[in-house]
Amino acid sequence: MNALPVPLGNYIILSGILFSLGVIGVLTARNAIVILMSIELMLNAANLLLVVFARVHGDLGGQVMVFFVLTVAAAEAAVGLAILVAVFRLKGSVDVDRLNILKG
Amino acid sequence: MADQFIFWVAAIVAIIAAIRVVILKNAVLSVLHLIVTLIALAVLFLQLSAEFIAALQIIVYAGAIMVLFLFIVMLLNLRKDEFGRDQLPWLRLLGTLAGAAFLAELISLIGGGRVMAATVPDGFGSVRSIGIALFGEYMFPFELTSLLLVAAVLAAVVVARRKSSNEVDAAPPAGSEGEA
Amino acid sequence: MTPFNLTQFYADWATILPECFLLLWACVITGAAVLGRTDESKSGTFAIWTIIGTLATAVWVAVTQDGAAFGGTFVFDRLAVVFKEVILAGVILTAAASVGTVSRLRAHRGEYYGMILFSAVGMMLMVSATELLTLYIALELSTVTLFVLAAYHKTNRKSAEAGLKYVILGGISSAILLYGVAILYGLTGTTELARISQGIQRQFMASGSFPPGLALALLLILAGFGFKLALAPFHMWAPDVYEGAPTPITAFLSVASKAAALAAFLRVFFVGGQPAQLIWIQAIAALAALAMIVGNATAIVQTNIKRMLAYSSVAQIGYMLVGAVALDPWGATSISYYAMAYLFANMGAFVCVIAFAERTGSEEISDFSGLSRRSPILAGFFALFLLSLAGVPPTAGFLAKYYVFAAAIQKGYLWLVLVGVATSVVALYYYATVIMKMYFPAEQTEGGFPVARTLTIVLAVSALGVLLLGILPGPVVDWIKAAAQSFVPPT
Repeated sequence: MNALPVPLGNYIILSGILFSLGVIGVLTARNAIVILMSIELMLNAANLLLVVFARVHGDLGGQVMVFFVLTVAAAEAAVGLAILVAVFRLKGSVDVDRLNILKG
Repeated sequence: MADQFIFWVAAIVAIIAAIRVVILKNAVLSVLHLIVTLIALAVLFLQLSAEFIAALQIIVYAGAIMVLFLFIVMLLNLRKDEFGRDQLPWLRLLGTLAGAAFLAELISLIGGGRVMAATVPDGFGSVRSIGIALFGEYMFPFELTSLLLVAAVLAAVVVARRKSSNEVDAAPPAGSEGEA
Repeated sequence: MTPFNLTQFYADWATILPECFLLLWACVITGAAVLGRTDESKSGTFAIWTIIGTLATAVWVAVTQDGAAFGGTFVFDRLAVVFKEVILAGVILTAAASVGTVSRLRAHRGEYYGMILFSAVGMMLMVSATELLTLYIALELSTVTLFVLAAYHKTNRKSAEAGLKYVILGGISSAILLYGVAILYGLTGTTELARISQGIQRQFMASGSFPPGLALALLLILAGFGFKLALAPFHMWAPDVYEGAPTPITAFLSVASKAAALAAFLRVFFVGGQPAQLIWIQAIAALAALAMIVGNATAIVQTNIKRMLAYSSVAQIGYMLVGAVALDPWGATSISYYAMAYLFANMGAFVCVIAFAERTGSEEISDFSGLSRRSPILAGFFALFLLSLAGVPPTAGFLAKYYVFAAAIQKGYLWLVLVGVATSVVALYYYATVIMKMYFPAEQTEGGFPVARTLTIVLAVSALGVLLLGILPGPVVDWIKAAAQSFVPPT
């Protein structure tokens, strides 16, 4: 099997859509948990690209990178959620409007 | 043909679930839809001869990280009114524009024509091949990830461990680390 | 797969000995603190000795080892030495400046130093990484602990919120960076910077144009670094995080973490992105101009000193990147020199804020009024650091600005330098306002106060750095220039 199941462009567009949804989620969600989930979406879009390109180049590096991204995502989620819990204990809310997240 | 059919089903499921992650007002449902997206992506990974990564995606990502999210959502027991979309209107506009512009840029990236994938040997993406790569060529970053996890665990414990309110130096109660 | 080679194995690990040493003691300090076996003053002293030991090990490695390890994914070249020393200097000053802050923490005092050391390990690995994957993980290692440090006053709303904001913005930036890395991997089939550079060049030779998507990849990576460096327009997290975080951590964030990101930026763009300079150099010029304008214009209206310094450091990063448009060894030298000058001046300025807040409990600019009477030493130091940030001779800040502007003019970026000079005048205005308030108050305020001893030492060291770099720059510039020439490919 030396062809992709569907043309490479389809994968890139799919990954782009997922990444854009992540960006939109990050910018519009009010809740910090949903923002963290949107970041996971962005990471997964990148993972999809990495796996596809690993297949295209016939190089395991891309797959190994996904493995590392998983680790990073786990570390980030653990610390992010721990801080989220700390904020919730203080304020009873994880609403970013009330946190003025983008106040410049 | 079957390959194409599987791709389209998985892709559409992934996109619909991802949209619902972003727009749903109930955080529990958002998490569950994110899990659906992750599993759909795992199907795509299987098609791209990345069996080990597909398994990891389900076991670690959907199984562990998402459960952590779910756990926190339930622990905090958030009210529904915290999940509106009604942030600053210009920000929503900006978000949608940024997403659309990014997508347009990305589509321009795609060169025409069907890209041939390299011919890969049997066992490409299997546990064995990934293991050899991890402990051979990629040993250094692999050691770094272990360090990253240690740091993250310590960091999470420091934040999440609650000292009983007025004590300053007393040793923490034994069970209090569990929240991290 | 190459067969296992014991000599190579030892050589590889000897090259990362400084990081291993630092990591070992970071684990010991954190572990002892978690088990409750130590008090925080010991942790602080241990932390400082650890960093001194790391510096010594780094010098030993620089002298005895040949530099590259793990198949070239980790290098201990002269650039790494320069930036590792900047980072370690930042860590020492931060640890020393934290003593008062830590003694007022209600819990987790010892872990505080452990977290700083873990973060320092990440930063040190970051400046040595020549492969994007290693770079990405090292960057995460340095930020994961910084998230927690920003939220360290976890019973304080502002600090906890600062931590949450930093987590969110840090997560977004690393996801954006990763996406850029993924596209770059797709285009070239590798994550090693040198091979990426070759790949881009080869494709350019073959088709006469850059591969589609290269611009997008580089811009995404630039945006990812932009977040870490708090470069406009990716700076919106900085003022809130800087204001909310404990002040020593603010200083750490603005100095050490930026130095590490800057070194990584230099490697990625000067080495990996070098053949594609046509694509990114204009973007960097525009971002630098924007950062200088936005940072300085917003700093004027701030009433909180930490927010003012936050915006001023946005502008400072803009000045540093002016040197990047030169894309030659001289440009890299000017950036590194600027980073050093900025290390001492910014660290010193934040330590002045710490000393002031410890005694008065205030961080408002208006409360600095009449400081010259209440604490002449503190006012003198603060004025010196602000003048260096503004770029007034004979401080290091003046020469730093001169070098980056000279590097940019050589390459014909006159407009950028004009923007830089004009915004420097604006910057001088708000720095001078603070100094005027300290020395010529509208009404007299009473109550002199002393400055804690460790803080005085930190201030003196920073002041010495600012003045020495400004008056006798020769040896340092020669040293950095040799480093820059060793890693910037000839153009």
